[in-house]
Amino acid sequence: MLELLALSFIAAVLSGGLCGAIGFHVHRLKITTLSFSVAHAALAGAAVGLILGLDPIYSAMGVAVISALILGFLLTRVKYGGELLSMTVFSVCSAIALFAIYLSNTQVLATSSISVILWGSLLAVTLQKLTILLLVTFTFILYILAYRVHIDSILYDKKLAEAEGLNIYNHTLAILFFAGMAIASTLKLTGGFLVFTLLYNPVAASFQLTKKAYLQLLYSSLLGSFSASSGLIASYFLDWPVGATIAILSSIILLLSFLMGELKKEEALKDILKKRNRINSV
Amino acid sequence: MGRCTAFPCTFRGETVKLKNVWVTYSGANLPAIQDITLTIPSKKLVLITGPNGAGKTTLLETCLGLLKAFKGEVFLFGINTKSRSVVNVRKLCGYVPQDFIKPPFESYTVKRVIQFGLAPYKSIFEQLTKEEEDLVQEVAEILDIKNLLAEPVGTLSGGQQQKVVIARALVRRPRALFLDEPFSSLDKESRKLVSNVLKGYVKEEKATALIVSHDTNPVINLADAVIEMKDGRIVETQGL
Repeated sequence: MLELLALSFIAAVLSGGLCGAIGFHVHRLKITTLSFSVAHAALAGAAVGLILGLDPIYSAMGVAVISALILGFLLTRVKYGGELLSMTVFSVCSAIALFAIYLSNTQVLATSSISVILWGSLLAVTLQKLTILLLVTFTFILYILAYRVHIDSILYDKKLAEAEGLNIYNHTLAILFFAGMAIASTLKLTGGFLVFTLLYNPVAASFQLTKKAYLQLLYSSLLGSFSASSGLIASYFLDWPVGATIAILSSIILLLSFLMGELKKEEALKDILKKRNRINSV
Repeated sequence: MGRCTAFPCTFRGETVKLKNVWVTYSGANLPAIQDITLTIPSKKLVLITGPNGAGKTTLLETCLGLLKAFKGEVFLFGINTKSRSVVNVRKLCGYVPQDFIKPPFESYTVKRVIQFGLAPYKSIFEQLTKEEEDLVQEVAEILDIKNLLAEPVGTLSGGQQQKVVIARALVRRPRALFLDEPFSSLDKESRKLVSNVLKGYVKEEKATALIVSHDTNPVINLADAVIEMKDGRIVETQGL
């Protein structure tokens, strides 16, 4: 039991940090709805995997990656209306997930394996799943380090970077791919419906806390890790559903950071005006 | 400044060639540009002018392949902009967009943003060389923004931000510059400085510059050729 809890704790720290970091890139690339669709595709994949007797994590990963590639491909053809396209994919994937759950022979959601992918579980992380999560995290870090200057340029101004000869398409696909992999790896811990909490809440909170890009990335990652691990511990002691506990905790963190941000805002604006005046006088 | 050697180009023909090009935006009733056939020779400073809605920006973005023609063909340094290899020839270009203003919370520093111009020439894990660092300083000095290098871009005025994006284009030592209203936010002195820098660059580097401007005053005396547009069509060309 304790060993399983330890595995879940490590997985929570890793997946929270990974989702926070990926969420930062997703937000700055303005592909939030795309990643939302990929996340639901992962859920659909997990549900279909269950009725086919496959490991839901692997089927979730497969479907998430395929949907990321298809969405990325379609978006190069559709210059406008990409958000609508993403939401269509989201609706279709949600419908597939619900159909798959309906078609499975499960009568009681709370006691079935379906509940794990829907609501998450404290004890769902195995050593094998943790290894996959570690691999995804390591690959993502490697990718970010290897292409840091390219990615930063794209995050600063996508159109300008494209005009200068950077391959926006490949990097967007890569980020979507990692989003799909991270979501699929985290699915069993937080559940399919609440996995987005780790993807978006830490980013929103970090943007309230700092205006420096590198710190935003760092804070997103740290807040993601903190939300996931503290939510896991709280759910263990309070006997609450793990996914919901993580979601509530990360939302409280977001609220607190928003209040802190509001308090700091006036001071920051004064600072900017002072700086601007100083620059203009120079 | 010497030319960028990171992506050597042996192409000696025209910089841009458009053949019966039509571009339309989804939902629009009329095409933004209609049946444009045009050749922009190399080593020329070409001004594209015309009233609002004439299709100047659309034409510029089509030349770079940022917008796809639904009819006709566009060649940039001899490469069809519909092909995947257009990504490579874009490395020979510098671009200044019309919408360059960043909000106050944009935190990248001026130095970093200028360095981003060199990003496409970098392979994985590669860092800036000393020569490139010096080049960033040099370009910033030429455009009189050296004192701003450590400042976050979002805290700068519109004119200063425009100089930053021009510096980013120049630091690439491009063979062709595509500039969309590059004087729109500049004061009188800065306009003079930037237009002289551009003219000097084109002459010294034997580069091509395609400048979109509804206000012809700052560049009309510098231009080798002028293209006038109206309602998505070219109505007059001089010097081409």
